Formats: sequence, structure tokens, C-alpha cells
Amino acid sequence: MAYGFTTAAYVVAAVLFILSLGGLSGQESAKRAVWYGIVGMAIAVLATLVGPGAGLWPVSIILILLGAAVGYQLATRVQMTQMPELVAAMHSLVGLAAVLVGFIAHIELRRVAGMTPVEREGLEGFAALIAHKDPAELAILRIELFLGIFIGAITFTGSVIAYGKLAGKVSSAATKLPGGHWLNIGAAALSALCLIWYFNTAGLFPLILMTLAALFIGYHLIRGIGGADMPVVVSMLNSYSGWAAAAIGFSLGNDLLITVGALVGSSGAILSYIMCKAMNRSFVSVILGGFGSTGGEQMAVEGEQVAIDASGVANALEDADSIIIIPGYGMAVAQAQQAVSQLVTKLRNQGKTVRFAIHPVAGRLPGHMNVLLAEAKVPYDIVLEMDEINDDFKDTDVVIVIGSNDIVNPAAQDDPNSPISGMPVLECWKAKQVFVSKRGQGTGYSGIENPLFFKDNTRMFYGDAKKSLEELLGKIEG
Amino acid sequence: MKIGAPRETHKGESRVAMTPKSAQELRKLGHECLIETGAGTKAGFTDEAYREAGVTIVEDAAKLYETADIVVKVREPKDEEIERLSKGKTLISFFYPGQNEALLEAAKTSGATVIAMDMVPRISRAQKMDALSSMANIAGYRAVIEAGSNFGRFFTGQVTAAGKVPPAKVLVVGAGVAGLAAIGTSTSLGAITYAFDVRPEVAEQVESMGAEFVYLDFAEETKDGAESGGYASVSSPEFREAQLAKFRELAPDMDIVITTALIPGREAPELWTRDMVESMKPGSVIVDLAAEKGGNCKLTVMDEKIVTDNGVTIVGYTDFPSRMATQSSTLYATNIRHMMADLTPGKDGTVVHDMEDDVIRGATVTHDGEITYPPPKPKVKAIAAQKPKEKVKEKTPEEKRAEEKAAFAAQTKSQVTLLAVGGGLVLFAGLFAPASFMQHLIVFVLSVFVGFQVIWGVAHSLHTPLMAVTNAISSIIILGALMQIGSGSAFVIILAALAVFLAAINIFGGFLVTRRMLAMFQKS
Repeated sequence: MAYGFTTAAYVVAAVLFILSLGGLSGQESAKRAVWYGIVGMAIAVLATLVGPGAGLWPVSIILILLGAAVGYQLATRVQMTQMPELVAAMHSLVGLAAVLVGFIAHIELRRVAGMTPVEREGLEGFAALIAHKDPAELAILRIELFLGIFIGAITFTGSVIAYGKLAGKVSSAATKLPGGHWLNIGAAALSALCLIWYFNTAGLFPLILMTLAALFIGYHLIRGIGGADMPVVVSMLNSYSGWAAAAIGFSLGNDLLITVGALVGSSGAILSYIMCKAMNRSFVSVILGGFGSTGGEQMAVEGEQVAIDASGVANALEDADSIIIIPGYGMAVAQAQQAVSQLVTKLRNQGKTVRFAIHPVAGRLPGHMNVLLAEAKVPYDIVLEMDEINDDFKDTDVVIVIGSNDIVNPAAQDDPNSPISGMPVLECWKAKQVFVSKRGQGTGYSGIENPLFFKDNTRMFYGDAKKSLEELLGKIEG
Repeated sequence: MKIGAPRETHKGESRVAMTPKSAQELRKLGHECLIETGAGTKAGFTDEAYREAGVTIVEDAAKLYETADIVVKVREPKDEEIERLSKGKTLISFFYPGQNEALLEAAKTSGATVIAMDMVPRISRAQKMDALSSMANIAGYRAVIEAGSNFGRFFTGQVTAAGKVPPAKVLVVGAGVAGLAAIGTSTSLGAITYAFDVRPEVAEQVESMGAEFVYLDFAEETKDGAESGGYASVSSPEFREAQLAKFRELAPDMDIVITTALIPGREAPELWTRDMVESMKPGSVIVDLAAEKGGNCKLTVMDEKIVTDNGVTIVGYTDFPSRMATQSSTLYATNIRHMMADLTPGKDGTVVHDMEDDVIRGATVTHDGEITYPPPKPKVKAIAAQKPKEKVKEKTPEEKRAEEKAAFAAQTKSQVTLLAVGGGLVLFAGLFAPASFMQHLIVFVLSVFVGFQVIWGVAHSLHTPLMAVTNAISSIIILGALMQIGSGSAFVIILAALAVFLAAINIFGGFLVTRRMLAMFQKS
């Protein structure tokens, strides 16, 4: 009886999950959407506990409660600017869980295989499920759990490295071991061999070998991707964790796992695709790491960077009617969003039009800037996307660029040999005046020179973004 | 170094090359400043003001030339002024070395270094010392003001109780710095402004100032202004004819014509012929900014205002900047100050005349007893070459429809191909895989499909919450661990327990973080 109930509950949960993702299309409905997700998850877990996962349920509940306590701590303590790291770190948990589940499936498979038919009748829970499979199904099962472990292991190490890079614990530069992608290809080939081996022998050794290879791929692949591409990487790992769950779902014969895994997998894939498109780069070149080399010489940048101090910026802001602010990763690093918010409030109180222009890949996570600005209570209807605002720059008096670089680089349009050539950028140089808040004269994440800083209508406002803005705040009335 | 500014000796010249403010800045560079008594009076700067700024007042020019190491002035020097220079001294002023060969020769004999402000190359870095542009800006503004004071009507159209006033129509010929300044002034006064230039690439600048660019119906490969450092060059006779024909057509309608067309080192081209003047309405005004070089209109009399027989006023003043001496002196003195800043890189009062520097090399016309004009081509091109703009053709409705049809067909094709390939693969799998697997596969494929459909609609700003939610949801893997925990050995239990624990962290962490993020989104 229990299983019928479980299936019904799974259907409800699956629908809730779909609604949850779909509900994220708007800020208001998103709040409801999260509740759908939470309820869906609760139903799924409860239904499993009373149904196929009833064995040792007290242990399960205790562990869930423990996990809840840890999760609660994590989620409430973390700073909004650390969000990218947190998400990356949590992906690694899913990856690791998938590896564990895969291995258990293997162990159980072996145990059941060694039993007599009589013993098999006495089995319960998961083992009983395996016991009723015919040989063809068992073969498929082996492939499924193999894939689950493979993807899970890549997700695990990949996420750990991504976390390290985002948290600044690992160098964000793209580094590869000698051998580069051949190492990855070698490890992948080894895994493929292990699959054949495991398919035929069902031994533990090829499984472990493959796991090690996959762990290496995850590590090395993500090490080889530069910090600027981390948004794509995080979203890609998100996708992987979904596929891992789906593969495990196949091996366990659990439709809800398959459904949700597929949902998560496809959503992560699309998100990665959207971001790659925003950067005008192919998904493959992002995954293979680093900016592709180009043939010709890059245009040399002529001119000089002219600095300005806070009072100069304040004067220009006093005179301006329309202002656009372009935040970037530098704002997040300096934790300057509160200062930005106060500045915006003051300027708006003076009756000026102030808007934000957000590039799709600003920051280290998709929508990173939106979250930070929202945290600082910037009303979201003045926060606009690139496509919505790009045509307005020419009618704008002052643009303030806070800690962004590549996304406002005119070389993307002017210089066909630039590594970022063709990437859509915010055309802020068309405004009457541009102020760039920047720590120093260095280049951005992609390491290329930005002609914007040398333009005649650009003034450099050097210094830590937060300090600069706070100094500026003191000079503006309102 | 001692920097001295003498009184301008040219008749009617009111400008001065140093202001109290620029003197203060020069002193910050480590220089000492001198000025001839009364030099700034006509520009509105008293000796007292200079003294307060720390400038030493010198009683006459002779004394000034004797004490100062660097003499700064506005107009090109007179012969007697050149004679006062000697080796080791530097003169900074307008010089026009191309037209003043005798003067250049005299400067060479004196042994002094001469920096010509009109020779500053037109590169971005040197814009702060581009005195020609700052003066042209003033001239353009003043030209409109002069035209207005000689014009008997409003610039703006008005409908008043006392009747309707039509707006004035202004044509600006030549959209260089002066032309653009004139356009800006004229449009802000409310006139309907038209502008013409032989360089079609400036049309965008003209339109950005609010004027209408007059296009010629002429298919010549026009020369790129960037080649000649942003200045116009001589055009072909056919082009000239087309241009004159256009002006002839416009002339009867125009109330005010401002001509600013100059070609460097040549006489001003005749653009506004006698018959055009005759076809204009009585009361119309022509301001010829090229008067000094013979005028774009041959009726122009240099330095004078005349009225033709048919009542058209032609203003041929050449001293527009001088007529706004305070403003022009301030700007010119700032240009000089920037030049000095480049000459004193150490800010310690020591002049380093770096002949390797593009800007300093370009502006220096005599140095160390030798003539250094003309300078070699600068290493940096003034303006990036204009890429020929491709005109986007307006598509006809038929073309649009055809395009839409083609796009639709392409889409259908790709979708059908995808479906066929996908379907084929599934069928192929179905041949070999057991039935239970196929059931799951259906669920899987449908879910992927739903995922794709749903995610496309997610708002960009919600991508981070989306990722947090999907992350939380991906901990559905907990179900697998829950199913396994009650099965088998202690080792399995431990592994499964660990998996449950990890996934649980993720569930709660993920959803809580998402809630935190979403709670922040607010509408004003």
C-alpha cells in the first residue's frame, strides 16, 4: 500500500518543483515559488520515509535534523557577497552524496548477487528492489550507477575548486598541469575503459579507479578555468549535480529523482548557455579554459588615464540630471553596495534620474549584482539589464563605473583582435562623462587593457570602491 | 624659470596670455611669474589681482623681455619683439610659421626657442593645450551673438498676442570647432539650424548638436578628414559645383549664414557667392569667420561690418576671441599653463625641452638656432580612421515577410531534425534496453523538456536565486540515501547516513539562502 501512496506523493512533489522553478520568472512570484520548492521537498522526503526508505527511519530523521542545524547556520551566517562561494560549496555536497549513493548501490548489488534465491526472498528495502531485477536490468543498472558516480565525483572536486577560487583560497588564474587537456582526455579515456571493465566484471576496483579519475578531471578542469568564467562554471556544476541525481535515480528506479535531476540538469545547462551567449563565447571554449588566443596584434591604447578626486565627482553629480551606475565585481569585493545605495538615495532625493545598468556577466555569479543591490535595498525597478539600457547612454550626463572592467571595454566593439571582440558590452563611453572607480591602474580579470580608461570623457576615481564612495557621500547634500 | 607675459601690442587685441589664476598654477610648477603693467586691463584683470596671485609687475616690455626666461603671449610677435629675444630664451605664442617665413627666419637668427601654440598636434593627449580649438570655440559662439545683435528678429519662433513670429533659420558652413560651437549656440537660442561640411563623417556630430546636416547629392569618394588631422582639404571642382548649387538653393530661405570654412595654409575657399548674397532677404546677416583669410564670401571686408545694397549685413570681424577677452584669456592662459606643465615634468621649475615628445616637438618651430618647422609626422594619428559606414537599408514589407518566412522554415527544419534524431535514438535504445528502463527514460526526457521550457522564462535578475533553488532541489539525492539506509551492512548504513546528512545540509542551506535573497528584492 505504501508504494502507491509514495508514487502519488512524488507526482505532487514533481509538480511543485516545476512550479517552483517556473515561479522564478518574477520577483514577486519568486517568493511563493520558494515555498513550493520547500513543500515539494518536504513531501518527497516524508513520502520516502514512510515508503521505500522506511528502514532505520529514526536514524534518518536525526541526521536530517543535524543537517538542518548545520545548513541553517551556514545560510544565516554567510555574507551576501559570499553567496557565490556558498552555492559552489553546496554543490560539492550534492556531488559527494551522489558518489556515496552510487557506491552503496554497488555494494548492495554485489551482496545481493552472492545470495541464494531463498535468501533473496527475505530481503527488504533497497536490496529487495535489486533482487527482483533480471540480468538485462542489472546490466543497465551498472551503467547507471557508474555514470552517477562519475558525474558526482567531477561535481564534487570541481565545486571544491570553484569554491576555493571564489573564496580566494585558490589562485583564480587559469592554471594547468603539464600536459593540459591531454590529462583530462587521458582520465576520461581511463574512465571509459573502466566502464567496459566494470560492465563485464562488476568488480569494485574499476569503480574506484574511475572515481579517482573523475575526481581528477573535476579538479583539473576547473583549475584550468579563469576566475572571470566562474559564473558559467558554477552554473555548469549545478547542471552536473542534477545529471548525477538523475543517473542515480535511474539506478534506484526512482522517478522523482529522475524528474528533479533532469530539471536541475537542464536548467543549469540553459543558464550556462545564456551566460556564454552574453559573453559571446562558445561553451566549449569556456570549459576548455582561458581566453582563446587570437591571430593579430591588439590595438595599442593611446593617451593617458586622468585621475579625479571625490570633490570633482561630486561637482559633476550635482550638475547631472541623469546618472547611470555600472557595478561590477569590484563593488562586491569592496562591499560597497551599501554606500552605493545611500548615494542613490541622496541623488534621487535631489530629483535626479539614477539607474543601474547590469551586464549579464557582471560579478562572479549570474545575477550577482542584482542580489547585492537588493541586499542594499536598491529598488529593483531602477536596476536594468544591458539590453534595456544600452541605448540610453548617449542621453546620460554621468556614468559611474564601480569596479567593472571587461564589461565596459570598447575594444570588444572596436578591436577585432581583442580577446573579447564581439562580446556585448555596456556602451557607457557614449555618455557625456564617465567616472571609473577602480583600485589602481591594473587590467581587469581578463588581463587586457581597457581603452575606456583613456578616453577624453573618462576620469579615473582611484581607490577602494567603498572608501571612495563614502568620501563622495560626504560631499553630496541631501 | 621666470615666465613673463608682455602687453599685447597688436591693435585691438585685448587678450593676455597669463591670468592671476594661471599664474598661481604656474607657480605650483616651480616657476616665477612676471607681467607687464596693465597687460591684463583690457581682459578685466588688474595689476592688483596679479600682485595678489604672487606675480611681479614689470613697468615696461623691455624690462620684461630682459628678465623673463620664457615669454608667453597671444599674437605672433612683431619684429621688434623678436629682436628682444636671445639665445636661451623661449617664446610661446601663436606663430603661424607656414605663413610667416620672414618671422621664422628672424626667430632663428635670434637663437631663441619658439613654441607655436597653433602647431600643437591634434592628438587626444594634447587637447588640453589646443589653443586653436579654445579660440575657435569662442569665435563660434561670438559669431552667433554678433549675428543676433545685427538681426532684427527673434531666434525662436513665438506665438504672442501681438502676432506670430517665425523662427530664424541659420546655416553654418564648416562644422569644425567654431562651426559646432556656433551650431550649439544657435540651436540653444531656438533657431532652426542647418549645417554643412565637406567631411561627411561630421554629420553625426552636427546632428548631435541639434542641427540638420545638409547632404549633397554627390557621389564622390570624399576624402577622410582623419587623414589630414581632422581638417578639411581641397575638394574637386565638380564637388564644389554641387556644393554651390545646394547653397544657391538654400540662400533665399536663410536668415543668418555663418561661414567658418578654412583650409590650413590656404586662402579661404569662396563658398557664398555674390548671387547668393543678392538672393537673400533684406535684414539677413552673414558672419564670415574666415575674413582674415580672404573670407568665404568675397563681399566680406576684413575687420568691418558692411550692409549690401539689398540690405544684407556682412560681418567680417577677425577679433571675435578678443571681443570676449576675459573668457578667451582664461582659456588661452590655461592652454599655456598645460604646455608649461608638459615642459616641466619634474614640477621643480626646470624646463626640459624634450624633442622626442610628439606634442613638444610638433609645436616647436625654432630650437637651438635652427628652424624645426615643419615637424615630422607625429607617431600617433590624430583621429582613428573612420570606417566607411554601411547604410542599413530599410527593408520593404515584402522582404520582411520573406525573411520571416525563411526564419520560420529554418526553425521548423531544425526542430524536425532534432525530433527525428532524438526519436531515432530513443527507438534505438528501446530495441535493446529492458522495459523498466524505457519507462524511466520517458520520465527523464519529459523532465528535461519541461526544465528547458520553464527556465527560459526566468528573469535575469533572478538567476542567482534560481541557482540557489536548483541547488537546494538537487539535494533530492537524499531520497536515494534514504532508500538505502535501511538496507544491508553497517558499512552501507554509515555511508548512507553520511549522504543523508550532506544532502540535508544542502536542503536547508539552499532554501534558506534563497529566501534571504528574495526577501531583499523590493519595489520602491
